[in-house]
Amino acid sequence: MFDLDYSWLANPIYQDWLLRGLRVTLQLFAISTAFSVAIGLSCATFLSFKVWWIDAVIEMFVELFRNTPPLLQMMFFYFTLTQLGLTWTDSEAGLQRPMLSAFGAASLSLSLFGGALCTEAFRSGFEAIPRSTLEAAQAIGYSRWGLLRNVQAPIAGRVCLPMLTNVITNLFKTTSQASVITVAELMYYAGQIYNDTFRTLEVMTIVLMIYVVLVSLIAWGLVRLERKLSYPGYGKA
Amino acid sequence: MIMESYDNKKRAAQLAIIGIIAAWIVYDTRNSMLWGRVLSKVPLLLTGNVNLWPIQGGFALNIFISLVSIAIASVLGVLLAMGMLANAKSISLPSFWIMNFFRNSPWLVVLFSMLYLLPFEISFLGMRIAFPPAAKAIIGLSLPVAANLAEVIRGAVQSIHGGQWESARALGYGTLQIYRHVILPQAIKRMIPGWVTLYALLTLATSVATVTGVQDVITILRQSLATENERALLYFYFAVMLMFFAYCYPIALLARRLERNLKGHAI
Repeated sequence: MFDLDYSWLANPIYQDWLLRGLRVTLQLFAISTAFSVAIGLSCATFLSFKVWWIDAVIEMFVELFRNTPPLLQMMFFYFTLTQLGLTWTDSEAGLQRPMLSAFGAASLSLSLFGGALCTEAFRSGFEAIPRSTLEAAQAIGYSRWGLLRNVQAPIAGRVCLPMLTNVITNLFKTTSQASVITVAELMYYAGQIYNDTFRTLEVMTIVLMIYVVLVSLIAWGLVRLERKLSYPGYGKA
Repeated sequence: MIMESYDNKKRAAQLAIIGIIAAWIVYDTRNSMLWGRVLSKVPLLLTGNVNLWPIQGGFALNIFISLVSIAIASVLGVLLAMGMLANAKSISLPSFWIMNFFRNSPWLVVLFSMLYLLPFEISFLGMRIAFPPAAKAIIGLSLPVAANLAEVIRGAVQSIHGGQWESARALGYGTLQIYRHVILPQAIKRMIPGWVTLYALLTLATSVATVTGVQDVITILRQSLATENERALLYFYFAVMLMFFAYCYPIALLARRLERNLKGHAI
């Protein structure tokens, strides 16, 4: 019915393009996940201090990034940061050049987007610890640091892991939107290949499969981790 | 008392930040013409028409796509959830795989696939029905949403205590009757927050529809920026972000309130 033709897949040039795109996708994912988790952890820690003005600023940051499209954020960072003066002067050509490449802009915006989502995840983890547990731990003489290390972090980490799994898989899926600002990742090379071969449907099915397999692997790994870490009898295994 | 004053201080700080930004905007309008340019393009961005009416696209199209998609996704999601909850393995396993497939695929990639998978027109009983890009965008967006919704529904149904199934059976109810009279009335209450959250996410994701070439707000934004001064970029992006934020933030707040209300009477 569709007359599918996958012979382009045997061409080493296209294989190379797919692999190159995949590498950039994975790099983008790794960088933005690392920064997202770092931003999320530090914001959630600041939130736990209960300082009203820090709380106010972090909440605004989280709501702003959660309620605007990531695609628009990426375009914003890519196209307007140069307008705000983030340029360097190329001494050889004597030209003003943007400081952020497309890849840099995509990683920055994905990190902030993921950071906002992670902040929410970690915050809900910290808030899920019953007050009585904290008081009991304090009563038997835990220090502030000991409380964080031995009581808060183990419980909060396990509570927020399902949400974190969602955020991380979501982040991986969102990296595909970086192709719109010309980051040479998997979707971008997919476009290159079907512009070359005109086998749009075949290319898209392969790329869709690659994404689904990778996201499923990540989700599966994190769910396994969740099961492995879960305390028997505490929460749903 | 202490919590209240804390929240009040937080609100005051946020209002102050918003106030400073607003003041800066007012100050800036006196110096630069750029805000005026944005203002003159706002009707175009909102409805795709310089005169605001009739609606030809723009942010109104994004909302339209999101509403139709959530309607389609709700129907598909219910069917998929019913499949997943079926006792027969031959139904529940494939449904489970379909759900996982669409939940784990990026919206943009599904959208692109639909763009090329679906024909540009359908011949039906000798009639030719055109299949515009907006329809493809709607279908491409509703599939991942349906999968996510099916998972929400499944979670809500399975969160109902198992004892209720047993007691309803002991009273002589059949499976469909149990769903209709016992499980669903409680489960629906629990799936509404998830449904509202998904709708907010879907509205954000309609921005991706720009790749199908529909005249949505992002397409119009890019087109108008092509003719604008470079310095206007920032102002235009600010305006469009504000549109999405103004629409999605209240919905997100509503979802959170519904969720909080639910926590009170969990069994």
